[in-house]
Amino acid sequence: MLIKHHFWLIFLISVNSIAQNCVLNINGTITDDGTNIPLENATAYIKETKKGAAADSNGAFKLSGICQGEYHIVFGHLSCEPKEVFIEVNEKDLVLNLKLKHTAHELDDVLIYAPSKTISGQSKETISEQKILDNASKNLANLIESISGVSTLKNGTAIAKPVVHGNFGNRLTILNNGVAQNGQQWGNDHSPEIDPLVANKISVIKGVSALEYMGSNLGALVLVEPNSINKEPHLHGKSSYFFDSNGLGSGLNVQLQQYSKIGWKINATAKKSGDRKTKDFILKNTGNEELNLAFQLEKELSKNWNASLYFSSFNTRIAVFQGTQATNLTSLNEIITSPVQRFSDVDFSYSIEPPNQEVSHNYLKLKAKNYLDDNAFFEFTVAGQLNSRNEFDVRRAKFKGKPVLSLLNYNLFGEGKFQKQIGEGLVLKTGTQTNFINNSNQPGRGVSPLIPDYSLFQIGAFGIVKKQWFKNTVELGMRYDYSLQDVVRINQNNKSNIIVEADNYNNLNGSLGIKHRFSDHLTASYNLGYSSRNPGTNELYSFGVHQGVASFEEGDPKLKIEKAIKMTLEIEGDVNEVFTVKALGYYQRVNDYIFLEPLGFILTIRGALPSFKYSQVNAEIFGFDFSTKWNITHSLFSTAKYAFIRGFNLSQDNIAIINLPSNNLRFGIGYHFSKPVKLLGKAFENIEIEANSFHVFKQENISFDQELPLNKELTEFVPLPDGYSLFGISLASDIQLGKNRLRFTGKVDNLLNVAYRDYLNRQRYFADDIGINASLGLSLNF
Amino acid sequence: MKIFKSFLILSLLGLIVISCKDDDNDAKIDDNEEVELITTVVYSLTDPENNTVSFTFADKDGDGGEAPKVDVSGNLKANTVYTGKLTFSDESGAEVDDKTSEIAVVEADEHQIFFTNTSNNVSVAYSDKDENGNPIGIKSILTTTSASKEKITITLLHKPNKSAEGVKEGDITNAGGEPDIEVSFDFNVEAVAL
Repeated sequence: MLIKHHFWLIFLISVNSIAQNCVLNINGTITDDGTNIPLENATAYIKETKKGAAADSNGAFKLSGICQGEYHIVFGHLSCEPKEVFIEVNEKDLVLNLKLKHTAHELDDVLIYAPSKTISGQSKETISEQKILDNASKNLANLIESISGVSTLKNGTAIAKPVVHGNFGNRLTILNNGVAQNGQQWGNDHSPEIDPLVANKISVIKGVSALEYMGSNLGALVLVEPNSINKEPHLHGKSSYFFDSNGLGSGLNVQLQQYSKIGWKINATAKKSGDRKTKDFILKNTGNEELNLAFQLEKELSKNWNASLYFSSFNTRIAVFQGTQATNLTSLNEIITSPVQRFSDVDFSYSIEPPNQEVSHNYLKLKAKNYLDDNAFFEFTVAGQLNSRNEFDVRRAKFKGKPVLSLLNYNLFGEGKFQKQIGEGLVLKTGTQTNFINNSNQPGRGVSPLIPDYSLFQIGAFGIVKKQWFKNTVELGMRYDYSLQDVVRINQNNKSNIIVEADNYNNLNGSLGIKHRFSDHLTASYNLGYSSRNPGTNELYSFGVHQGVASFEEGDPKLKIEKAIKMTLEIEGDVNEVFTVKALGYYQRVNDYIFLEPLGFILTIRGALPSFKYSQVNAEIFGFDFSTKWNITHSLFSTAKYAFIRGFNLSQDNIAIINLPSNNLRFGIGYHFSKPVKLLGKAFENIEIEANSFHVFKQENISFDQELPLNKELTEFVPLPDGYSLFGISLASDIQLGKNRLRFTGKVDNLLNVAYRDYLNRQRYFADDIGINASLGLSLNF
Repeated sequence: MKIFKSFLILSLLGLIVISCKDDDNDAKIDDNEEVELITTVVYSLTDPENNTVSFTFADKDGDGGEAPKVDVSGNLKANTVYTGKLTFSDESGAEVDDKTSEIAVVEADEHQIFFTNTSNNVSVAYSDKDENGNPIGIKSILTTTSASKEKITITLLHKPNKSAEGVKEGDITNAGGEPDIEVSFDFNVEAVAL
């Protein structure tokens, strides 16, 4: 089943009371709450006794011969994640009826989490906890890349940003546990400072307008969500180790949680990787390291009040491949025409030298939730974020070791939300948010700042109404934001002079969604939204050489608000649950679309540098995401995904919009062993093997002249990279070791060690992308 | 409701207090703060009669803004040996800040200057050395032959591989490193009236 199940428990104590030991029973049914369909072959397994049972075609299961005591029961179903539940068996038989039930009490937010009840029916795709752990070495962008319509903008391997429907950076909001991640997201070489391993679920919303959240996005959202802490009085946890052969990278992640009077959870990750290798060369200075810690506390203050605290600290050092620092036209000419890969005749090393980045992100969130009743709740959140980014380059004499970019950004956020069922199938959600951001360049750099100091104050409010009746859902929402920005910048004509600017903006956003359920096997949803985005400080006031990408960038203080209309049509269906299809078409028209336009070269004392300016044009972007899964037999399955996107610059003769991903295709074929296999005296359960392929088409729409501003000046034409195909295999299995469960994963990416370059990887001018990588993961649940 | 109200008031108060911060002045680079900037390169060529021709590249406001000014003060004479001297300075501030010694003395082993001319009519040889006996290029000897129109490119490389083939002789091909400075001058070599 494509829909991920949340198992939740409803206790119904049976009337049968047999007061003997060890002849007690646990009976029950496992059904799907939304449709009441019994889940045949769902399993119930008691860890302590190692006894289990499977549900029959009515969803009924029975565990007999149970003694009084406390048990952990694990419920599982096919390709869903197992869910563990703690129960006490006293003197009576126990009846457990499990349903997929989503109540305001148990899940943080009904309307977002429940797959069939998303607040707006906007397209949402999810990466499960299992998949996150199975890919523990990947960063956030690389992890969600397998979702159709999602791509990655990279500068090498360690620096990667997600791209959803062509939106990235300032246009894509990443919600870190419900609060918009705030840092220097404007930079194309600035990865989001989030550890995916703190999340139990990562979702991508490919929508029209995310009204519930403050932020400058055009409907595309990435939600990184840790679960609430399981109500388990015993200490439980997971510890995972992973290893990558390319870069000889290793990592360790430890999670611990317990809930007696107060729930607490700790999640810590450490990663270290050395130089990466392309098909033929080791790239000097491409290692990275990371040290992260997340901490959660939850408490039920009273029957109606819940409170939680979340703290996370993300710290990374990333080395930037020396070759990408080509600083002028002469060097670029050399690199592009040279038959030998520059900066590659090296031995492997873990060291991180300039040019490199050092970033840390600290985040604290406090939340309180009040349930007025089963159908209404209030929620208050206060959060603070502190983001520090230092970027280093190779420098002279007394400036050695000093950063060329040093920005400190702090953010305070406050929010109050209210949700209530106000009528038959009618839900209202409303709220207000305030946000304060302060960004300052730290002294001691010895170079002009690329973006100025600024502070930004925002306040906004939204209202969403959703009506459900029979097979239809309609949702209508509106949002208003007011922003006030104070910028302190250097007068470029007279550098000892400061200019203080104050800009204010009014933003109105709206959306309409209609969803119709034709049958249990076919639904269609249509969404229409209007959203506006304020120009970012970098877009208005950048001036200078952006060291990380060796280009001169200039902003335009006269930029106006971007205004966009987006519509999506999604059709989701299945044939007997054997064959499932999801197809999404989207169209976006953006007036005053801001982008970094390549203009040519400017002459500097360093030679000629590529020059870019933030420009504003009218644009049209549209595309199509398609994904399908075919359960060929009970165990054999196959998947296919396709993503297509095109953009037109309407103000410049309909030339293509740059930096949009190429069209791509993914295939997978896998086999899931339904019965455990005995090997070396141990039972290997849930064995799954999969072969996959990824085909990227050449970016045919970009013209010769648009390819950086280089082609007119270079001695040789810089070609757009060819299309490429990558193949991979993976294997996973679980082993029960006493009370604990061990999961083993092994995979190989770029199995054929192909040399390739991707349009969205800035490193493509200088080097191939990485070659073959074999990964190994071990994860112990205890 | 009480709790809700007090929470709202508290958070709004907190935010108002913080938003009334003073304007930040850290964006400006202090007059006293060191800046790693070279705005001006001067290559002065002195002939045996002590006449000097200067090639000047000046971008006083730094990258961007006003275009750099490139100036050649006169023509060179054919069949003449010139003593060449390079200076690097920062003219962005009120005073001229000479940076030549930072390159020539402090970090001499990490820098080398290359002179690449369009034709063989003009050739440049090094006349200085760093502590390892390798050339730097602050001091040079420029020799002209026949009359022509020429273009010379002066490149300051940071961390070149001074022992790679041809580098010590002034061939930039295998030098590696990063160009900190690259400036070009169009000039004339004119025949000397006898």
